[in-house]
This record gives sequence, structure tokens and C-alpha cells, in this order.
Amino acid sequence: MLKVDFEFRKEIVKDDFSLNYCYQCGTCSSACPVALVTEGEYNPRKIIEESLLGLKELLIKDQKPNVWLCSTCQMCVEECPQNVFLTEIFDNLKNKIVLTGNYPEAYNVQGNAILEYGLAIPLTTPIIRRRQQLGLPSVESANIEEIGKLLEATNFEKKINTNGYSKTEKGGM
Amino acid sequence: MTYKYFFGCVIPGRLPYLEASARKIFDKLGINVSDQTQYSCCPDPTGVAALDHKSWLALGARNLSLYENDNSDVLSLCSGCTETLKTVQHILNNDPEEKKEINSILNKIGKKYQGNINIKHFAQVLFENLDLIKENIIKPLKDLKVACHPGCHYLRPSEIIQWDDPFEPTTLDVIVEALGAEPVDYELKKDCCGNPLEKSDKELSQKLLLNKLESIKKSGADCIVCVCPACYQQFDFNQRELNKNLNTDFKFPVFYLTELIALALGIKGEEIGLKFHRVRVNNLLQKINILESPNK
Amino acid sequence: MGENSNSVLVIGGGIAGIQASLDLAERGIKVELVEKKPCIGGRMAQLDKTFPTNDCSICILAPKLAECYRHPNITLHTLAEVKEITGKAGNFKAKLLQHARYIKAEECINCGICIEKCPMRVDDEFDVFLRKRRAIYIYFLQGVPSIMAIDPEKCLYLTKDACRICEKVCEREAIDFEQKDSEVNLNVKSIIVATGYEPFDPSPLVNLGYKHLPNVVTGLEFERMICASGPLKGHLIRSSDRKEPKKLAFINCVGSRDMKYNPYCSSVCCMYTTKEAMIAYEHDNSIQSFIFYIDLRAGGKGFREYIERGQKEYGIKYIKGKVAKIIEDDDKNPIIIYEDMNTSKMKKFPVDLVILATSMIPNKDTPELANILGIDLDKNNFFLSNAYLPLDSSKKGIYICGCCRGPMDIPNSVIDASGAAAKAAENAIREG
Repeated sequence: MLKVDFEFRKEIVKDDFSLNYCYQCGTCSSACPVALVTEGEYNPRKIIEESLLGLKELLIKDQKPNVWLCSTCQMCVEECPQNVFLTEIFDNLKNKIVLTGNYPEAYNVQGNAILEYGLAIPLTTPIIRRRQQLGLPSVESANIEEIGKLLEATNFEKKINTNGYSKTEKGGM
Repeated sequence: MTYKYFFGCVIPGRLPYLEASARKIFDKLGINVSDQTQYSCCPDPTGVAALDHKSWLALGARNLSLYENDNSDVLSLCSGCTETLKTVQHILNNDPEEKKEINSILNKIGKKYQGNINIKHFAQVLFENLDLIKENIIKPLKDLKVACHPGCHYLRPSEIIQWDDPFEPTTLDVIVEALGAEPVDYELKKDCCGNPLEKSDKELSQKLLLNKLESIKKSGADCIVCVCPACYQQFDFNQRELNKNLNTDFKFPVFYLTELIALALGIKGEEIGLKFHRVRVNNLLQKINILESPNK
Repeated sequence: MGENSNSVLVIGGGIAGIQASLDLAERGIKVELVEKKPCIGGRMAQLDKTFPTNDCSICILAPKLAECYRHPNITLHTLAEVKEITGKAGNFKAKLLQHARYIKAEECINCGICIEKCPMRVDDEFDVFLRKRRAIYIYFLQGVPSIMAIDPEKCLYLTKDACRICEKVCEREAIDFEQKDSEVNLNVKSIIVATGYEPFDPSPLVNLGYKHLPNVVTGLEFERMICASGPLKGHLIRSSDRKEPKKLAFINCVGSRDMKYNPYCSSVCCMYTTKEAMIAYEHDNSIQSFIFYIDLRAGGKGFREYIERGQKEYGIKYIKGKVAKIIEDDDKNPIIIYEDMNTSKMKKFPVDLVILATSMIPNKDTPELANILGIDLDKNNFFLSNAYLPLDSSKKGIYICGCCRGPMDIPNSVIDASGAAAKAAENAIREG
């Protein structure tokens, strides 16, 4: 049975008020390249409908439709007649899913790389060598202590999965 | 106001030859761009924003504060970085409460976000210097049919990006044409290459790529030009994998816009590391007499 | 003040302006009816049929045009524009710019010989550019006044000092190249504004393919395509291959209810797409129509029943869902990408012809006219109207009716017009 979670609905609207303007016309699904290739299994209108209704379990636990299949191409945002900021709403949903731990591993790899290096793609020895061959200067990236402090303030480390990520593993995108 | 580079993570850490081509052409054209150190991941609008919006905002604002501090505009080499930095600026400049909160976080590391610099994609800067490019062309790219792939974050959301047309993009075609090449139109020009889906569903990512490549094939293009390292990887690195998985036979050389310009400006292939491309570019470039044939 | 002492100025010769003029004239009030085009008739003259009765549009309109023409209390000023208004309610002074027609109105008998001989081919605005007319022309077949006009921007003589063929062939000697633009000064008690609307150009909605895909047309283009006196002589064929389309898709709300273009509902599209689908079926019973909609807004009298008739008697299929993307196959058949909201599945739906129900927008020159009249516009650039006194403009003695104050259908424009006429008459009689 579908259960409306009023608290959840309030939060989602508060995070991005444009959600309230949706009149369920289907422009977003018609414009969405992923909806087309998945024949509607991924469906932006449906995600918005479920958000409006506050169907937390479907969205966050079952992930139906799977919000991680949004390619962030922004076509829906560009076309929406009501100026609903769909991709931002999807990010807010993803953020909530992240807190449950049940999300694609590749995102975690990136998150942990940033925690460790401040970069999504840390420099490897062969790349450093290649940079030298090409006559490129060495990369002087951010002081990791500073990044650490900043991410501590936003609670980043506690929000994402850090289990199994030692500070030696290499991340990637 | 002068420009400082924002290279992001992917280009310096995985595709340094693209960085080389960019540095070479801006030098050659005499457009003054200097280096900025100490920046972090932009962060990835398709990755970190999905993990935690607040951290994404804070890291983005920190990056912007570095440029603000030096009173320089951002010249970004990546569409994803451009989108992140522009969106962060858009959010913080339109939401005083959010700005206050982010600044209280930045304050812990002695930094401050103000929101008073310009963020430009490198292709925009090149477009704005089209005459300069034309004056410096040594080897026009004759007989080269190019399918331009602007990519999503170069264009959309137009309210934030404020550059080119979100549905009928033309700026890349204009630049390519100025180089002496022939830009070709194709049905899925404004569509996504599928790269961000690599993180969640590789098969789906390849389906989008397949659609793109089929549409490009129909256009009769010789090669693809893109302006974002994520798109570049999708087209260049994943083309072969797609051929293997789906039993197709695509062989489109993939160029970064900076590489094509470098070649037209007479910069040698070795200088910009063309050999690092996964889909070989030499045959095509020899055919149009941009590279010398080995048997000559 | 002389003859004009109790007259009313009506600006716009469409159905609203015509109805207002006739009402006033029948009441014994003099009317000065100003129309920018060479003939009165307006948008209604371009429509094939009208809902919800499916009456032939021009058959309803033509008698009214003729009545306007011959009514002793109505003076027609076609090819004329209002340039200046001064004074106040009960005593307005109007300055009109009367463009030269280059035709002696009393001599021309609309025989058409000049048209046959004119060498120029010009895009026909009345037929929404679906055919060519000549530089000397009658605005539309049943146009009133039923006389020629010469297009000074296209006429070879007026642009390049050559030709003059029309002059040679006209047995009535009705051509008069000596005519000049002139000024007309009027004195009126009150003013009725009835300048109508323009259809929205859907080209900015690039993904719908208008102008890129040959078989995607607008509602107004479709009206002309299917009209017996239209460019295709009522034989519905599509432009890419001149084949008869059998499967039509109508897309509602194109540019309407859209914050990026026109945030308001255009109020007529749900009905006129139903009407167009019905007409298509009446032309050819093997035509099947599909109407894509956000909500079906059928609020008028008999409208709900009209849609039910569409479903039952004409086999029209209504599909909930706004379409954002139309592509085409190798035979130039448009393919509609839409979500079937019952199943949440995406569908690719090939059709033969797509009709875009484009929204109604204010005429381009509405702001200029508002400035001349000294009246206010609303946020969508229609003339500002008050909810409780909907026909009053922001200035005393100036009344607004029909689509120039907001989108509405023909029955409502007529109601508006009669109301505005009553209001204007009050001024004319009381202070006259």
C-alpha cells in the first residue's frame, strides 16, 4: 500500500519550492532522453508526482523510478512550462537516499576521493610522467587540510559511505 | 580583469594532452590566461551535488573565492566545472540566506565568497576572439566534416549558463567553420552523450552514446568535436567498448575543440599529444593534409 | 463639430469591431470603423468553421461585412491607422493615417483582370503564406470593401517606376497611382478598441519542429489548408509529398500555460482542435485524429457535449499529456514522443500531420496603440481590463472588447462587443 509521508513532503517542497508549480503535463518525460531509451522506466514526471504526493518509501527505499538514472542533461528544466527545477529536486532526493546508504558505488568512489585528495581524480604516477613529457607544470591542488575542515563543517564524511575507503585507495570518476 | 585557468580534475588527471593543446593555443593567440593553484574539484555537478548539495555549494564557493581574491575571471576548460561554478554563483547571488550560511562555513578556513567575477567556458572565450583565431590560421582544415557536440552543460539550464542557444546551438559550428572545416548538422546534436550515467548504469550510458553515434554517422561527419572532458571520454574512450559490446563499427576520431584549433594554428601533433587518443586520428589528418603521410 | 457630433470610433474591423459597429449603427449612432488591413473581417474570416456549431465561418461573417459596408451610419476606414487621440470622454479628437489604396473605390468592380496581369508574386498574409498573391489584390475573396488594393512595397511601378500593366488593362480606369497617404481628422464621443490578437509563432519551441519539419503546421495554417476557399481549395494534402494525411495529431497548449512564453490559458484551443479534427473527419471519414492535452478546458455552453460528440461521432482520441518533442522518419512523417500517463510508458507515435494549437497573443502594435490612447496594458500586454467592469479601459470613454483584452472565442467576443457598444452609446447619447 502507498503511504504518504507528510514530513517528507514538507521537506522536499521546502528544499525546492518550484516543485509546487508542477501541473503534471508530461513535458519533462516527453523531453527526457533517458525516459525514451528506457521506455518510461525512468520517468521524471513520475518522480515529481511521487514527490508531490510524499511517497517516501517508493522514492527513497524502492527507488521507483530510479532517480540515479537522471543524466542531468537539463532538457526537462529547459522545457518545463512551469519552471520546475527538476534536476535540483532530483539532487535533493539523491541526497536523502545517500543518507540511507543505498546508492551507486561510483558516487561513493568520487566522494571519498574528494575527502582524501580534494579532487575527483587524483594524479597517478603515469599521468605525472605524461604531464612532464608534454611540458606541463605540476598540479598544485588544494591543501587537503583546508578541504577537510570545510567538509567537516558540512558533515560530508558522516553523510557518505566511507567504509572500506582507506586513505590509500585511488578514486575515479 | 584577466583570466585564470580552471582545469578541474579530469583534464589534468586523466587527459593532460587536452590541457597542453589549450595552453598552446591561448599562448599562441596571445590571450592572457595565467595559472591558479589551490583549487579543488569544482565539484562535479553530476556527482558531488548528488551526494550532498551543501558540500557541493561550499566547495564551489571556496573555488570561486580564490579567483575573487586575485580579481580574475575564471576560464574553465570543462563544461561540468563551468556549470557548477555558474550554478553555485547563481544560487548564492540569489539567496542571501544560503550565501550567509556558506560564508560562515568558508570563514572557518579564512575565505569569503562575494560573487563578483565572470565565469567563462573556454569555447566562449574563443568565440569572442574569433577574429584573432582567423588571423592566426596557418593550416586551414579543408575537407574536414565535423559533427559538433556542444554537450548539455555547455548550454543548459540556459537561465544560468547564459550562453548559446539551448536548443539550436551554433557557437561551436561557427568556430569550426572559421578553421576552414565544414560543420555538419545532425538530428541529436543537442542531446546528451550519456557520460554521467556511467556512474549508475553503464548499459544505459552506452545506449545514449549509440544513439548519438548513429545520428552522427547519418550526417556524414569525419570526426566529432567536443568541449567537455566527460563527453570527450564518452566518445573517445567508450567508442571501442561500445563497438565490442554492441557489435558496431564506429571509428570517429574525437577532437577537443582546442586540438582542432591548435592544428589549424600550425601547432604540431606531437606537441599536443595526439598519439594519446584511443580512436586514432592520424589517418584522417593525413588524408586532409594536416599531418604528413609517413610514406612521403 | 458638425456631422461627427455623436459618433463613436471603433478601432479594429474583426468580428468584435463589426458587431460593436452594427449595434451602435442600429441605435442611430454614427460609427467610424477603422481597419488597418485593406478589408474588414479579421481573424474570423480566416477560419474555416466555428465551434460549437460547426457553422461555416465566412457564411456567418459575410452578411455582417456587407451590412457594415452599406449601413448609412457606418463609415469604413480601411487601410487606416489611428495615429493620435486627444481630448476626453464626450469629446475625443482622432487623427487617422489613411494609407493610399491606389484604387478609385467607386470605380473598381472587382472584376479581377488586373490581378491576372500583375507580374508580381507576393506571399499572401491572409492565407498565412501558404500561397502567393499579386501586388494588386483583394485581401480575401469575400473581403469588404470588395475592391482591389495595391501593395506599395511590392508594386513594380511604386518601387521601380516600371510596369503599370494594371492601369492599362483596367477598363474602369480605377487605378490611381496619384493617390497619396492622407490624414483624416474625426471628432468622436467615445472609442471602442477591438484590435484582436495574433497567433503565437511556435518556432522558439524548437523541439516541436515547426519550420524544420514540413508536416508540422499551426492551427491557423490548418484552417486555411482545409478551407474550401483556401490555397488547397479544401483538398487536404500535406506539403512534403502532397499526399492526403490520414492520421492527425493536435498538440494543445503550444505557447500557452507556459511560464517561458505565455503563462495564461488561451481558452479556445481545446475547442478549436476538436473542431478542426471534426472538419477533417467530415472531409474524409478515414482520417483519424488524436488530441494531446494537459487538461480539457470545455467550460462554455455546450462545449462538454461538443467534445463528447467528437469522441463518439468523429472517433477523436484524446490523450492526456503535453508533447515536448516531435521528430520525423525518413518519409517525413512526424513522430510524436509522449508519455502514456496511464502506464507511465514512453511512446513513439508516428502520424501524417501535426497541428500545433498555438496560443493567442496580443497584436505586436498593442503597446503603441495603448500609448496613443493613453490606456494601460496588463502584464501580458493585453489591454488592461477590470474584473468587475471588464469592458472599461483605464481611461473614461474608451472601451475594450474581444481578444485585445484577453483570449476568448467568437461567441464571447460578440457578447463583449455588444456590451462595449452599449457603454459607448451611453456616452454618445447622454452627452450628444
